[in-house]
Amino acid sequence: MNWRNRATPVAVVLTIFLLLVMLFPFFVMFSTMIKTSQEVYTIPPRWFPHQPTFGNFVTVWAQYQLITYFKSSAIIAIAATLVNTLLSIPAAYAIARLRFLGRRLALYIFLVVQMFSPVVVVIALFKTFGALHLLDTYLSLVLTNAVFTMAFSIWLMSGYFRTIPVEIEEAAFIDGATRGQTILRIIMPIAAPGLVTTMIYTFIYAWNEFLFALSFIQSQPKMPLTLGLYRFVGRWSSQWHLLSTAAFLAIIPVLVLFYVIQHRLVAGLAGGAVKE
Amino acid sequence: MIYPLIYVFAMSLFQTNKLGGLIRFSGLTNFIAVMSDAEFWRVTGRTLLWTFLGVFVKMTVGMVIALLLNVKFRGRMVARMLFIAPWASSVPISVLLWSWVYTPQFGLLNHTLAALHIWNNPPVWLGTPIPAFISALWVDIWIGVPFMALVFLAGMQSIPEDLYESAYIDGVNSVQKYFYITLPGIRHIILIATLLSCLWTFNDFNAVYILTKGGPVTSTDILITSIYKNAFQWLHFSKASVMAVITFVILTAISVVYARYYFKGEQIS
Repeated sequence: MNWRNRATPVAVVLTIFLLLVMLFPFFVMFSTMIKTSQEVYTIPPRWFPHQPTFGNFVTVWAQYQLITYFKSSAIIAIAATLVNTLLSIPAAYAIARLRFLGRRLALYIFLVVQMFSPVVVVIALFKTFGALHLLDTYLSLVLTNAVFTMAFSIWLMSGYFRTIPVEIEEAAFIDGATRGQTILRIIMPIAAPGLVTTMIYTFIYAWNEFLFALSFIQSQPKMPLTLGLYRFVGRWSSQWHLLSTAAFLAIIPVLVLFYVIQHRLVAGLAGGAVKE
Repeated sequence: MIYPLIYVFAMSLFQTNKLGGLIRFSGLTNFIAVMSDAEFWRVTGRTLLWTFLGVFVKMTVGMVIALLLNVKFRGRMVARMLFIAPWASSVPISVLLWSWVYTPQFGLLNHTLAALHIWNNPPVWLGTPIPAFISALWVDIWIGVPFMALVFLAGMQSIPEDLYESAYIDGVNSVQKYFYITLPGIRHIILIATLLSCLWTFNDFNAVYILTKGGPVTSTDILITSIYKNAFQWLHFSKASVMAVITFVILTAISVVYARYYFKGEQIS
């Protein structure tokens, strides 16, 4: 049937144009990361260097323990995503569907956390984690990231839950399903795109979080990627070819992961659950 | 979670030492001092403009991208992944990358604009107040657009397809489909996403601080960078806390208005 939207030439051209605009700094990154240090500073600058080189990769890889940073980032981001998802699904469901006293207040309180930038609360959090002897642990970052993304997950998930017609759920209740079963079998599959979005959001937030990592983590092996990269990028203030290489290496795992999640998770959750 | 916030409120009402410790209760003196400073009002005005423009552009572009990606075409998975890239990349590092893109002599942005004859005499982006403001705003938008697009897209995908099917049978055109099915269907998502985006844009520290440090002079400072500078560079913790509290009040006002809309009409359904 052709009731679906179809791609028109205008849409294709617009997509390509927007991609060119949005990816512009990445083109610059690609161009710069294969330049030698002399060719970075030519006037006028060139998109394609005369002598492309992969030497920057060797330099970056040899000098910095990228694998260690990757590992720390992965542990922190995955743990934060799990904590966040497990806590926010029931909370979001309750807010979207159940009526209880203080429901709105709860939503406001979650928002309050978002109103203070990390910059404002970082000192007090530092003191708190110090008192709990949690400084320089993964746990401190897992908790902070999970909490800072909670408002988003709960608000957004409840928004997605609310787009699902109540009738579908009522039908399940009539068929004798419990509320738990309804959430797992009916609601989650339909809200799968939303769930994936919040999970990706939490993961990316935790993966890229910078200020808390900078404040809480001191020992080299526990540093996440952002912090590790930033520290040596700072040392190379004008070595743009090395910065570009590092930026490239940092973004690849996230994009690969994103691609895999999109394919597997969406297909896995939504497959067969909703009638075609 | 609440303790740090209480401490900020306390600092705004006390005189503080250089370590942020409380010395003496001083009531509203700190507030009066900040409020009578013309620079504070300039920064606040700029922050509101920044937030409004930022959220508006992010929403518009995000919506266009989401609609484009919701169309079935070959390679849309790849297109979607590419659109996510600005968001997936680490913020401090992307901002540094942008500062390289904006470099006047060696940067490829000005070179490309001139070479394609789009703009023969592009400005020195980070060196003059208004272009610097636009540059920083654009970086903030650039980071925020993918999020909007992804959230809107996910919302559009959870609208049951039979709605569109019956609309097609009833002979509804695409514009009507958008305004009568898609838009109402993701109304809640739009409200939530713009609210959160307001809060984040208002508090976006990295784009401004790493790119321009608020400069030239203080021409691109927004409240959050101003708070940071007051607290960590000049150690004026009380002043910084006052500004943080004022920020909080502004954001609460925005949130309350939004929440009104969000809860409106739910009693009927």
